Amino acid sequence: MSSHSKGAEKFLADKERTKWHDQALFFVREKRDRMAHGVPEWEALRQLASDTKLHTMTHLADYLEEFERNATANGLHVHWAKDADEMNSLVLSLLQERGAKTLVKSKSMLAEECGMNPYLMERGIDVIETDLGERIMQFLQKPPSHIVLPAIHVKREEVGKVFEEKLGSEHGNSDPTYLTHEARKALRQNFLHADASMTGVNFAVAKSGAFVVCTNEGNADMGTSFAPLHIAIMGLEKVIPDYEALAIYLRLLARSATGQPSTTYTSHYRRPINGQEIHVIIVDNGRSEILRNEAHRNMLKCLRCGACINTCPVYRRTGGYSYSYFIPGPIGVNLGMLRDVKRYSGNVSACSLCYSCQNVCPAKIDLADQIYDWRQRLDEHQVADRKKKVMVKAMKLAMKSPWIFRRALSAAQLIRVMPRWMIYNRLNAWGIDRELPTFAPKSFEQMWRSGEVK
Amino acid sequence: MSSKDTILTALRASGVKPEPRPEMTFTPMMTDGDKTEAMKKAIEGAGGHWVELKEGESVDDVIARLFPDAKRIASNLKQVGCATYNPDTVDDPRTLNETDVAVVDGRFGVIENGSIWLPRATRHKALYFISEALVVILPKDRMVDTMHEAYKQPELADDFDFGCFIAGPSKTADIEQALVIGAHGARELTVLLV
Amino acid sequence: MESFRASLPETDISYSIMKIGLFVPCYVNACFPQVGVASYRLLKELGLDVDYPLGQTCCGQPMANGGFEKDALHLAEHMEKIFEGYDYVVGPSASCVVFVKEKYPRLLHKEAHACLSGRIYEICEFLHDVVKVKELPKAHFPHKVSIHNSCHGERLLGLSSPSELVVPRQSKLRDLLSLVDAVEIAEPKRVDECCGFGGLFSVEETATSACMGRDKIADHISTGTEYITGADSSCLMHMQGLIDREKLPIKTRHIVEILATGL
Repeated sequence: MSSHSKGAEKFLADKERTKWHDQALFFVREKRDRMAHGVPEWEALRQLASDTKLHTMTHLADYLEEFERNATANGLHVHWAKDADEMNSLVLSLLQERGAKTLVKSKSMLAEECGMNPYLMERGIDVIETDLGERIMQFLQKPPSHIVLPAIHVKREEVGKVFEEKLGSEHGNSDPTYLTHEARKALRQNFLHADASMTGVNFAVAKSGAFVVCTNEGNADMGTSFAPLHIAIMGLEKVIPDYEALAIYLRLLARSATGQPSTTYTSHYRRPINGQEIHVIIVDNGRSEILRNEAHRNMLKCLRCGACINTCPVYRRTGGYSYSYFIPGPIGVNLGMLRDVKRYSGNVSACSLCYSCQNVCPAKIDLADQIYDWRQRLDEHQVADRKKKVMVKAMKLAMKSPWIFRRALSAAQLIRVMPRWMIYNRLNAWGIDRELPTFAPKSFEQMWRSGEVK
Repeated sequence: MSSKDTILTALRASGVKPEPRPEMTFTPMMTDGDKTEAMKKAIEGAGGHWVELKEGESVDDVIARLFPDAKRIASNLKQVGCATYNPDTVDDPRTLNETDVAVVDGRFGVIENGSIWLPRATRHKALYFISEALVVILPKDRMVDTMHEAYKQPELADDFDFGCFIAGPSKTADIEQALVIGAHGARELTVLLV
Repeated sequence: MESFRASLPETDISYSIMKIGLFVPCYVNACFPQVGVASYRLLKELGLDVDYPLGQTCCGQPMANGGFEKDALHLAEHMEKIFEGYDYVVGPSASCVVFVKEKYPRLLHKEAHACLSGRIYEICEFLHDVVKVKELPKAHFPHKVSIHNSCHGERLLGLSSPSELVVPRQSKLRDLLSLVDAVEIAEPKRVDECCGFGGLFSVEETATSACMGRDKIADHISTGTEYITGADSSCLMHMQGLIDREKLPIKTRHIVEILATGL
């Protein structure tokens, strides 16, 4: 059994929650559909987005250098980090050099990827997540279960409970408006008094030396408005050529992610203000290797919108924690494999190859085709499921020659007379939830041979 | 070798075939009919309100009408006489907290998403986010259809330090996908069309 | 029969000399021979020269989707040999057909037009796009049916337009079903949500697969129909297994069986 199918079983045991989770996510998918259908040129826009990313990817070093040059001229400080360790220690020394103890942070999947929060917290930095969903997860001491909707699996009552404990909100009040405003009140003080702020980067614009951060809550903007230090961390694939390209991605991002025509705030950081320092850290952490991987380099086109996760019928019914990589869904299955084949191969089964993900992806990444491709390579990495392998070998044997196939079919007739207990047991995964198909008394081939097909 | 060189060398050694920059081959959507009317709808869609300055009405009249209970009104705009203080005169942006209404200038509106371009034009950028209500004054003749057009506006070529497209009030749906207005930024966004 | 002849398109190929090989996928052969029979009768009724080449086994899709594409190679070679002499190869299973179409050229190191891939059609696609059937005078099915837009039929083969894409709406299955007398056609609310079959997925991720299947069946049932119909026996087989286990008030029926009623 793959690690995902084990995790899935656990999630699926609670039928009510599974249903609710599926419906909540499908609702986001439907909002996305309505938005897409409101833009007549949607498909051409996706193609342009994909091709522009391809162009950028194939000129990555040039665009990154251009970005650094222009950002530096604008007064931003640009740093480079080969891997997670280097990024984490860079962040730590930027904070320590300025005596910063508290960091208000807006959502960043890169920080999650690099294990930055635990690293900083172990070294005495108080990291305060400021996106509401991330804050909820931080209080619950659990990782996000979705890259855009971190707390999508959490019920309002659970939020009410943890807010009562951590923020002193009213006992038993789980009204989302009330709870959100409680978080607003509490985090306002954090924003005003933090020593430093951190944001991710949605887009780094090479030509103008600016970077763009998109949020609905305004938490990134509040965070960067008071503290004297702003650290922005970016995966190196976040660079794009210019504003012309930015327009393409901004049209697609929020529509695909949450079904909004735009996020509330699309903030452009170009030069520091009033003596504030802005440091941008460009992080590789395996990305240059992905670029070399011809079969999978398309993953570098990803905008991290989460649309593929929302549409994934497997994710919707199994939740983020059923995946062993911190990013779930089609994008996570693929990025996990690129991170560590041995460690994350248990997610590759989490796909029925329905191909819906490829249709919603704003950058037209061939997500399902790539999962198919990973499956082909599990055997060579010696991580293929043994039971499945046996099954496939048996199937291959049965199909090998028409003669054996005919014999196998006759043998299958036995099932018609076998007692139920022999057929329906744990060894027959099909039969756990379903009846077996009935083998016809005569196969089509037999009917044809005896002239019964007319 | 520095990390920068290591990374750039690795990228350059990837052996990817350089692909040309694609051309835009389609005509982006265009507003059918009156642009101001379309923008009004888009503002509403983003959760914001709009008000049209009537004949003989001043910005002050509208603010007094919309926010009769406002105690702290911040603006550095000349036409906002009802401002109780000029945010540019305060040194510490923290003192902007608990501002009821901030009135700022918007440069142009984007019809496809109801957002408005606001390059920083006050001393502290916090003003755009910290007040309970944000009023954006927007000239009716400055509406563009899409983001493609937005980035061609002269304001984007200006030497701004910080600029933001703002679409409606701050919001979140992080608790059970229930939409809540007023996460961390302004709880209310009113566009004053002039 | 004459009426069909009249509706045949004028092409370079003379239909009377066009040789069609009927491709009956392994599980259809074993479990749903009636689908093969219906396919044969339907093509025959249209005046086409149909033959069933003996010795067919499996196209290799189950192995490949499970991650053992190389185990499908000799099956591909076998298929290639069996259908060598036919102008068209037509089969009643969208996912098998699309597998042959998309993966064989790479597996066999051949150009698509040089192998079976260039000549193979799913039967509805064939009737709709090649034969361009405009009427089915004998077909009569006085029941309400809910169309099952299978993932590979829709998103890979284009039997209908995917709900995610901003493209004109079309459905070849609906077009064909509309030619049947007295049938009432419906579609589930989530019109193209996966039913959770997915080949080996159904046994490797069995809990998820079953949950997806139950949800899909419930959606079909909510349309108030008696039958789920579609172009993929595999999806239908999976759903029928769940229906039988839970004794649900709906049946599955392959679309060709409905189109071939009265023959």
